[in-house]
Amino acid sequence: MSAENLRPRPAPARWDLRRVPGIGGLFLGSLAAALIMFWVGSDGYRQTLVTSAVTYALIALGMYVPYLMAGSLSMAYSAYAGIGGYAVGLVSTRTGLPLAVAWLVGPIVAALVAVLLGLVTRRLSGFFLAAVTLLFGMAFSAFLIDAEPVSGGSGGLGNLRPLNLFGWTPSHYQVVLGSVVVVCVIAFLLDRLRLSPWGVIVRTMRDAPRAVEAAGVRVPVLNLVALALGAAIAAVGGALFTYSAGSITPDTFTLNIVFLAIFMPLIGGAGTPWGAVAGAVLAVELTLNFPAFQASGTLLLALGVLVIMLLAPRGVLGYADRLRVRTWALLRKEPHGG
Amino acid sequence: MTDLQLWLSAVEIGCFFGMLALAYHLVHVGAGFFNFAIGPYAMMGGLCTTWLVITYDLAVWPAAAIAVAVTVVLSALTELGVVRPVQRRSGGGELPALVAVAAVLFTIQQLAGYVFGYPTLPGQSLATFGPVTVGDVTVQPTSLLMIGVALICFALVAVWIRFTRTGRLLRAVGDSNHAAALLGLPVNRIRLIAFVLAGFVAALAGILFAPKAGVNSLSGLAWSLSGFLAVVVGGTGSVWAPLVGGMLLGLVEVFLPYYFGGQAHVYGMLLIALLFFAFKPQGLFVRTVRA
Repeated sequence: MSAENLRPRPAPARWDLRRVPGIGGLFLGSLAAALIMFWVGSDGYRQTLVTSAVTYALIALGMYVPYLMAGSLSMAYSAYAGIGGYAVGLVSTRTGLPLAVAWLVGPIVAALVAVLLGLVTRRLSGFFLAAVTLLFGMAFSAFLIDAEPVSGGSGGLGNLRPLNLFGWTPSHYQVVLGSVVVVCVIAFLLDRLRLSPWGVIVRTMRDAPRAVEAAGVRVPVLNLVALALGAAIAAVGGALFTYSAGSITPDTFTLNIVFLAIFMPLIGGAGTPWGAVAGAVLAVELTLNFPAFQASGTLLLALGVLVIMLLAPRGVLGYADRLRVRTWALLRKEPHGG
Repeated sequence: MTDLQLWLSAVEIGCFFGMLALAYHLVHVGAGFFNFAIGPYAMMGGLCTTWLVITYDLAVWPAAAIAVAVTVVLSALTELGVVRPVQRRSGGGELPALVAVAAVLFTIQQLAGYVFGYPTLPGQSLATFGPVTVGDVTVQPTSLLMIGVALICFALVAVWIRFTRTGRLLRAVGDSNHAAALLGLPVNRIRLIAFVLAGFVAALAGILFAPKAGVNSLSGLAWSLSGFLAVVVGGTGSVWAPLVGGMLLGLVEVFLPYYFGGQAHVYGMLLIALLFFAFKPQGLFVRTVRA
């Protein structure tokens, strides 16, 4: 059976007419991003917040493909983001190469590491996969501390030089703006990917791996591709954060971030990648920008995740979507009924 | 590998991992999945005891009793409030349960950090006697308690599972929740008992181990992974299998850093996980079932 046969049947005609796949999400997402950028302005603290949100969003988006589409929870994403970050750090401090190289090398190396780890763990799923990948994340940060000549040990790498694109050095605001655009583009592309034939196969693989395997699709290869893609996206997030912060240490990307990244799609809604982005914004708002001190915000977030998981399993966006559908139904009915 | 003091240390850590693994084993036998929140339960036991002693000047025993009670309540809440509803809604899928226990793990860590603070606190010793010297090995009272209590726990659980009605029900329910429910067995009650017992064992382990290296709100995750590895390495064939797995990991935890430097045990754990998961995912001891 070829990929074409697995193409989703044209769902209700209303859907078809209303939009090009994913365009509605892009519109709403860009609108929200524009509002956020308007709110940020030249405030340095808010710019830092947006940078954090962008990093969280990219890590969560990286996990989106393997975790929500392919259904395997790999938790080594602190390591992948770290690889992206250290690529920027190393290129900046140890070589004279243009910094843009780091943005290419980091994601590629992260994807390679993800493929290797995926090959080693290809027979694992569920709890076993989660445990091994968590251990890998721990071993990676232990390695960063041990490999002092390369990574700078527990002190990490600092004093990174600014980006220089053909003689143009973007200001901090421009970097923040650029990273927000990157998030929107990646979320849009992932949304398209989710709806594409490839995405449908991957999602079917989550629910019925044997059926997909029997249909002639190589499930292990598909899994590896999903993992590599996710790792590369997370590495971009790590690189952006490291560049904005100007330094990186083994503690920059902790397992805490991985846990937060698992919860973000749950908070925002697992139905679309934009849910992960919405979750990231909410997570940053709660953990970093909460009026009380930081700890209570994270606790609130954790409790919120439990409540959302029990009461609104489709997340905030899913809930909003249901509300929208119901409102539409009400609005349409009224003229008839009246 | 001839230093007996190191061996003693390895056995002590092995007993700790073994008790965590026993807690995993209980939930796994009863409910058929791995409760990653075991480590945070142990952390809760250790940290809560210390906090009560330091903040309210409580004696050690009442503080430990309160800590165990709190942990058991947390464990029961995990089953009643989170795992059961999530599993009922999602059917048999593994991923929802995994994400749910990850959320519980994270929440307990944050809760402990918020209530007890983030710094590492020293553990409180339950023992009132002095160190014992055997030959040229000095046995700290805390080590003696850790090893003794671990052995007693394992023995009690082994007897309980084998010879009591509830213990046999636990195995019946764990083999297939669905079939047990069809037979009219009290599935929900048995699962709850498994969770409560697991919380109790984990809290005890945390309290006894805390004096060795101190405890902070983030200790739980590493403990969770160690306990999980121990139960996987040991296998599910016998109640004693988790203890064997724990001992093996105890050796790794003590001797690798001794010979290869500070962080070697992290790499060792990863290596053991990869090797066992790839080649012997059923563990060392497997229950043979007649086909």
